[in-house]
Amino acid sequence: MRVTKGAKIIAGTALLALAVAACGGGGGTSSTPDATGGGDAAVRMEIGEPQKLFYPSDTTETEGAEVLAALFTPLVKYDDDKKVVNDLAASIESTDNKVWTVKLKPGYTWHNGEPVIAQNYVDAWNFASYQDNAQSASYFFGRIAGYADLAPGEGKTPKAKEMSGLKAVDDSTLEVTLTNPFSQFPVMLGYTAFYPLPKAAFDASGKVTEDYARKPIGNGYFQIDKAYGKGTDQTIDLTLYDKYPGEKPKFNKLQFKVYTKTETAYNDLRAGHVDIIDQLAASNISSAKTELGERYIEQPDAGIGYIGVPLKYNPEYENVKIREAISMAIDRKTISETVFSGTRSPADDFINPAIDGYKQGACAVCTYDPAKAKAAYAEANGPKLLELGYNADGGHKEWIEAVAINLRANLGVEVTVKPFEKFQAILDELDKKTYKGMFRMGWAIDYPSPENYLTPIFSTDAAKTGSNYAGYSNKEFDELLVKGDTAPTVEEGVALYRQAADILIKELPYIPVYFYKINAGFSEHVKGVKINLLNQVEWTSVEKV
Amino acid sequence: MGRYIIRRLIQAIPVLLGSTFLIYLTVFALPGDPIASLAGEKRTDPTVVAILREQYHLNDPFFLQYWYYIKGVFVGDFGTTFAKVEVSDLIAGKFQVTINLAMTALILEAIIGVGLGLWAALRRGQAIDSAILASTLILISVPTLVTGFVLQLLLGVQLKTSTGFDFFPVAGVYDGWRSYLVPGFVLAGVSIAYLTRLTRTSLAETLRADFVRTAVAKGLPRRRVVGRHALRNALIPLVTYLGADLGTLMGGAVITESIFNIPGIGQELFRSVYERQQPVVVGIVTLLVLVYILANLFVDLLYAVLDPRIRYE
Repeated sequence: MRVTKGAKIIAGTALLALAVAACGGGGGTSSTPDATGGGDAAVRMEIGEPQKLFYPSDTTETEGAEVLAALFTPLVKYDDDKKVVNDLAASIESTDNKVWTVKLKPGYTWHNGEPVIAQNYVDAWNFASYQDNAQSASYFFGRIAGYADLAPGEGKTPKAKEMSGLKAVDDSTLEVTLTNPFSQFPVMLGYTAFYPLPKAAFDASGKVTEDYARKPIGNGYFQIDKAYGKGTDQTIDLTLYDKYPGEKPKFNKLQFKVYTKTETAYNDLRAGHVDIIDQLAASNISSAKTELGERYIEQPDAGIGYIGVPLKYNPEYENVKIREAISMAIDRKTISETVFSGTRSPADDFINPAIDGYKQGACAVCTYDPAKAKAAYAEANGPKLLELGYNADGGHKEWIEAVAINLRANLGVEVTVKPFEKFQAILDELDKKTYKGMFRMGWAIDYPSPENYLTPIFSTDAAKTGSNYAGYSNKEFDELLVKGDTAPTVEEGVALYRQAADILIKELPYIPVYFYKINAGFSEHVKGVKINLLNQVEWTSVEKV
Repeated sequence: MGRYIIRRLIQAIPVLLGSTFLIYLTVFALPGDPIASLAGEKRTDPTVVAILREQYHLNDPFFLQYWYYIKGVFVGDFGTTFAKVEVSDLIAGKFQVTINLAMTALILEAIIGVGLGLWAALRRGQAIDSAILASTLILISVPTLVTGFVLQLLLGVQLKTSTGFDFFPVAGVYDGWRSYLVPGFVLAGVSIAYLTRLTRTSLAETLRADFVRTAVAKGLPRRRVVGRHALRNALIPLVTYLGADLGTLMGGAVITESIFNIPGIGQELFRSVYERQQPVVVGIVTLLVLVYILANLFVDLLYAVLDPRIRYE
């Protein structure tokens, strides 16, 4: 009898386990619609998990920004010629680059039916700037007059809740006063942080609610179906907003599918379960080129990778000839094609080719020339030992090792490569003077203006508050930036920034190594996939097949 | 028996408390600033960093931080992640997925492992025995990463594109129980091989025991001899193995989960350790400890059922 009882318990356990498994399968997950179904079937795009809930001014990474871009319409967008064109803005004008008047187009409404008014921008930007709200993109508003009152800095109490430079003149007119003239201001306005927020986003105390950040009410062509369960939801589903007055996408449903590995997403694309991947894994690129053919997209991405030189920390690198020699000793082409499997292109300027102001071949010493490098290095009496630091969390080991091999072989010096846990750790050690070598550095733009490659990384002010980790400082360069900022038009500004970039090429505070590339792919269920300067898919041009 | 279970459960309390403390301490001791590293390459506004550090009590000494955490736990508040998601919500959602995966793996493991082991033991020394032994050897020596990618490509992609047979999804948990079949098998792979070998040895040994010879001599049918007499005794080491394996399957599925894009706790744990999200790490590990304790208790109780000589008073 005992035998039977035992067998029963085992059988019972197995059944229970099955039941548990079955229950779980049913709840919490939704089946994915197939694009081939036509009609209401969704267009499905791969994304990584957004880092935060959907606060536009707290979203500084591409995954969350991709979702928000489908839900919100910015004031401006960027056309195929890298130029700024008005989107929700009817006009953006200024006579002195300091006081900007933004007129809104009529007819735009929030997904809850309320009209989009100028006050929505004032509310959103004030919320973003107020330091107790700890919004990571708050620095975007630093140029607006009165910002310092809302964000006086660590340990200080804000003096105001509203910036003096922001004013809703009437429902369709927004007036923005900057602290200093800035010709590129309209270029910034297409970025995620500048989205407006509806009245419904705020609670009584003027904070954006968590409920809103889970289920944002936007002003864009798509609206979100349900509140986002971050961490557990594997899809984010959007539906076309019927009352959208602008150009609408040609399909009704958009689904973002969250993946942790793009390799997996690529297999899903092959099997027809996902339609768009905006950045393929390096290991998939060669097969994607042959398998996808026309459906493989390769275009410049606005990012850039450098070798940073610790100018203010280590006098050994002071002589520019030494930096030039190091630059000429790096075989950028082989590194881009072999180490990065073609996901990078060799850098030849401080401004990326995706952005207006780039000059092909501007950096002459960025061309590989081992013989000249060796001679120059010997003549300048460069240090016998070079150090290269990198953060071990971002897949940088391979290319830094490749650079080290180049330097050893071409300059005849000893090169040590030092991994750091995180990028921040390199900066900490440089500050503490426990590390004095070169370091890897990368830059992804905040807004598509050449200015963004210069001021935040190389201006004298950026040594304190920005990303000027080299400690580079040049008066002429700083002056050119100011001239660019005060130029009467965006275009004239670009020309002046170009001159500033030429100074960097002469002085080489950082050594540009590669430009990023976009390597995207899409399935045969869609066509017309285009990716813009902010790495976001242009949904209006996408069509289902 | 009832008193025995209660005693075991009471013993579990200090284990759980101790493990939360140790895990909290371990994550605390990791180098780097979790807030600053959230930002990546750009220097985060020091004001924002300072405010966030204040919000998450990161400036307080360790014991005070731990006290805040434990105080919360007692009123059912397991804390939030740096992205302001409730840890309890996060773990609840992921845990369901992991249980599904681990159970699928365990069931596949039990059926295939015991089945093959039984077959090999009964045909010992014959061709089929050698074939089974050889294939388990292959299964043990091929890493999960390889089996995972190969099966995903063969069953998820090739099978569909070449025959149109769309049964095995490539990734995700969108298709109910079907989503768990291939990842479950991949996850169970190595365990299947061990269990097969364990079953084979254990059963082969039991089949030579005196009481089995007696049963055969009594003239009992072979099915009854193997099924009722031999197998039941051979099961004890297998049950031990399966019980201990449950915990491994739940916490150790990082690779499988990432290949098949399954949002389970393995991946979450990996990421949380990396991002130093103490509340998440502690929550998940405590839950895993609890699973281990319960699985072991269950295994111990099963012994008594399988072998009447074992009694718990």
